[in-house]
Amino acid sequence: MSTTPPPSGPDADLDAQAMDYALGALARGERKAAEVRLASDPAFRSAVADWQQLLGPLNESIAPVAPPPSLWAAIAADVQPAPRTAALAPVQRGWWHNLALWRAVGIGGPILAALVVAFVALPGGVQVAVPPAAAPAVPVSAGPALVATLADADGKPLLAASYDPANGAVRFAPVAQGPNQDGKVPQLWVIEGNAAPKSLGVIDISTGSSHVIPRERLAGLKPGAILAISIEPRGGSPTGAPTGPIIATGALSTA
Amino acid sequence: MPMSDRPGPFPARSSGADALALLLAQVAAGDANAFQQFYDKTSAKLFGVVLRIVTERQEAEDVLQEVYVSVWRKAATFDPARASPITWVATIARNRAIDRLRARPPRAHVPVEAAYDLADDGPLPDSGLVASQNARRLETSLATLEPRHAAAIRACYFEGVTYEELAAREAVPVGTLKSWVRRGLLRMRGQLESSEA
Repeated sequence: MSTTPPPSGPDADLDAQAMDYALGALARGERKAAEVRLASDPAFRSAVADWQQLLGPLNESIAPVAPPPSLWAAIAADVQPAPRTAALAPVQRGWWHNLALWRAVGIGGPILAALVVAFVALPGGVQVAVPPAAAPAVPVSAGPALVATLADADGKPLLAASYDPANGAVRFAPVAQGPNQDGKVPQLWVIEGNAAPKSLGVIDISTGSSHVIPRERLAGLKPGAILAISIEPRGGSPTGAPTGPIIATGALSTA
Repeated sequence: MPMSDRPGPFPARSSGADALALLLAQVAAGDANAFQQFYDKTSAKLFGVVLRIVTERQEAEDVLQEVYVSVWRKAATFDPARASPITWVATIARNRAIDRLRARPPRAHVPVEAAYDLADDGPLPDSGLVASQNARRLETSLATLEPRHAAAIRACYFEGVTYEELAAREAVPVGTLKSWVRRGLLRMRGQLESSEA
């Protein structure tokens, strides 16, 4: 057996977090943090995949249990009708359950990339109102505009976001429409380094509208910070941290 | 190879795995028939995986439904060079089940000895349940650990318990429990790597 060096340093930290996540031993908050890193850190993603593959054969010892026959019917109903129809029709469980949409968005990656460019090329083009000039807790810098392409955990682009520091507005490329029929809403977060996600508020990306970030929350919007969107109960996360699935993340970079 | 892989449900890197990988490729192309075949071949195994974690049947059914909807959506991201098909899909199932578990209040505590017992009534190399060479090597490696440490790894993996829950069960500090598990996993990885070399 090869001698394993005593665990220390950033690589060991990454490996420890990866094994904790792959094993499934993390409590809720730590698990969410790992999911965010999973979506934004390729080295971490690779380490997690290695542990998952190492541990995977354990599943062979789990006895199979036949699910009830009705379950297949429910699944088949969930993945129908055909993508094109489903993308246009409101779906019972809300737009983020819409498979066709997610697939279409994956295919639409180049289009979204183009939209990012379009945002940059049209500064101030489709602005929404600048928030009232309340005393800003954080000075609004005259720094560069920032852009991010938010992708799902598999790296498929889902949304393009652009941030204009001059007016504090984050705008999203509209990719979806449809009601949120089961009472869930998307919420935007920013994560700096290993810090806990900070809420930027509940957003309405289903209509493609812009979202103005309250000025006191602007501090985290800088190159390298991660934008993330989670699905939360109506009104936003009750805990101040993401509680639902994180559907998209992306790093901010200068435009 | 002196021992040929027993034709179990999901032997790794076997014709069974190749068939599942092929089905996934067809699912990625939107083939509903292939999706149903994939479901037929994998759903009992995945339901077993999910049931171990969420334990309540109706909830497990809900989770399994989410899992297959996710498989349908994500089939194109499956990389046969990176993972075996059953590990890939079981990982989706475990993640969904653990997410569900974390979203509810803690369960009644089960002594860690119960998890250790699982090792006893679990797969033995000739039980027919552990089909692949990888699984045999993993079990062999687990068996070299302190029984309490191996039991902790099993409890986390099979039941989805957190370090904190397990530390409370075992009446040890969380740091101690993490150390058991992490050192155990590193040791297993070292053994598996050297046995591959």
